[in-house]
Amino acid sequence: MSDTLIQTVEDVSLDVPWNVIVHDDPVNLMGYVTLVLMKIFGYPENRAAALMMEVHKRGRSIVWTGEREKAEFYTQQLQAHQLKTSMEKTE
Amino acid sequence: MKVAPMLKGGLRIDVESALDWMVLRCIPYDARGGGLDLADRVSAPMAGDEGMEDWEEFVLPGLRDDFNSQLESIEAALAQAGDGEEPGEIFITREDSELWYGGLNQARLALEERYGFSRGQPEDMTPGKRSAWFRSQFYLHVQSLLLDHVLK
Repeated sequence: MSDTLIQTVEDVSLDVPWNVIVHDDPVNLMGYVTLVLMKIFGYPENRAAALMMEVHKRGRSIVWTGEREKAEFYTQQLQAHQLKTSMEKTE
Repeated sequence: MKVAPMLKGGLRIDVESALDWMVLRCIPYDARGGGLDLADRVSAPMAGDEGMEDWEEFVLPGLRDDFNSQLESIEAALAQAGDGEEPGEIFITREDSELWYGGLNQARLALEERYGFSRGQPEDMTPGKRSAWFRSQFYLHVQSLLLDHVLK
């Protein structure tokens, strides 16, 4: 009779961060987009305005990066404020 | 119609004629027109993403409820404020300012989606499109007042 050796190997890796992306829109006011970014993320006005300008000029801006659950929460919040928003894994 | 911020916060709309009432009652009408699903629209950049089915099942119904609730609140406020014929006042309190802003935004989004104002000039528009453009400009004006004097 032979004994069975059970070996457990743990493999732990960090979650890949996710980006929250706001997309440009012809209707939403620039001041409103800035205000929403301040309200949801607590950004100071100059940072929120810079992100808003990036959305306006480049068509999209990564407004937050972090763990998936929070990214989903922020994406939902931004969409509830009628901002076109998506999320993607960082490269 | 006169729209102005109040000293105690919020916005006051003085409705002076039946035409003014009609314009205000076009807010929910315009927002619902054209068959635009705003929840689909704001999540459109996620189309085809992994997990979009879950998003459609668990998130979008809540967004639809929120957006519809904004329009229902505006309809209720208008119904309470007057009969649609006589002059009246509408008070948008600070607490209600976000839902009014959201409802007006829905109306502008739906009109833009339907008519594509950014691709033309008012003088080249058909009468129906020009009328919609004027309403959209009025909604924008009220939104700007809300943003500058109430929301910020």
